[in-house]
This record gives sequence, C-alpha cells and structure tokens, in this order.
Amino acid sequence: MTQVPMAPVLLAVAITEVAITVLLFIRLAAGPTISDRIVALNTMSTQAALAVLFFAAFAGRTIYLDISLWLASFSYLGAIVWSRYLERELL
Amino acid sequence: MREAIVIALAAIGLAFTLSGAVGILRMPDVYSRIQCSSKTVTMGALPILIALVVAEGPVSSYGSRALLVAALLLILNPAASHALTRAAYKSDVPMWPGAVTDEPREQARSAGGNRAAGDTATGSGIAGDGRADGPAAP
Repeated sequence: MTQVPMAPVLLAVAITEVAITVLLFIRLAAGPTISDRIVALNTMSTQAALAVLFFAAFAGRTIYLDISLWLASFSYLGAIVWSRYLERELL
Repeated sequence: MREAIVIALAAIGLAFTLSGAVGILRMPDVYSRIQCSSKTVTMGALPILIALVVAEGPVSSYGSRALLVAALLLILNPAASHALTRAAYKSDVPMWPGAVTDEPREQARSAGGNRAAGDTATGSGIAGDGRADGPAAP
C-alpha cells in the first residue's frame, strides 16, 4: 500500500483548501449584492467538498466520501434554485 | 514517480484555485467574479481530483468517488454559473463602469428605435421575447 508516503501530500492539499475557503469568507461577508454572496458560497462549497474528499483519503475513512459527493452535487442545486428566486424577484 | 505526478497536479490545481479566490476577492463586479469562480472549478478542482485518482488508483473507492465528483462538477458548474449570471443581469446588478459592451441592452435599444420608427413587426417580435425590457430600460 502506497498510502504511507502519500499521506502528507493529501493532508497538505486538504489544509490548503480549507485556507482558501477561509479567504473566501471575506467576500461572503462583504459582498455588496446577493449574487456576490451566492458566488462566494458556491466556490466555498466546492472547495469544502475537495477538502473532505482529501481528508477521507488521508484518514482512510470511506464514510466521509458520501459527504463530499453530497456537497458537490447539492450546492450547485442550491445555487440554481437561488438564482431562479433572484430572477423572479422573490428574494 | 507517482508521487511527483501527484504533487505536480495538486500544485497546479491549488495555484489556480488560489488565483481564482484572489480574483473573487478583487474583481470589480459580479460578472467578473462569476468568471473567476468557474475558472476555479475548471482549472483548479479538476487537476486536484485527477491527482487523487493518480494517488489512489481509479478503481479504489477514493479514486472512483473522485471521478464521480469530477463528472458532476463538469456538468453542474457551467449550468450554475450561467443561471447565476442570468439572474444577476435580470435583477439589475450594475456592471463595472469600465465595461465595454452590453449586448442585450443594445438589442433592446435598437428594437425600441425600430418600433418608434413604425417598424412594428420586428419591434413586437423582440419585445414579445421578454428580453427587451432590460436592466436600464426607462
């Protein structure tokens, strides 16, 4: 099993993704319009899905993979639903 | 050798993701930020997922999930970006003042000019589309 030399790389990628997510919190807090916040939240959830995936591969826990899959699919569904609400001026 | 490929792919993906995040922080209006966001997925997330596939093998549980997430992102990210841009344009989010062109508004303006000149056929055809009442139509 080649997991032992790969493990620091996987953990480093997961930590860097979390750092980028923290960077995007600035735009989520200070976005002038709702669309800015939706863009920031969308990107943040993609990075969170990748971080969870890499942490699952680092820790050897297959149960975290479903969380990653859920984040990657349903966050985009949420963005599409939010943009439909924006378009009909319901927000 | 395998480690080198994994590190190179992850470094490329993380560099593009970081540049996309800086773009989301510093770009002047919503439309430029949406462009940076979709670049974050296409050039940032896909090399990172391919790095995981190379590290774990495509038939392991992690590699297969990474391929599934990559396919999902490739399908869903352009759709979500397009819907978000369209919603932002329809809900009158202002553009950056230095923006060069705004094609729907120009089309609406030319359609209104035609209708004022008596050309009712093209005017009503475009106005019935629903797009003619663009953001800044007075």
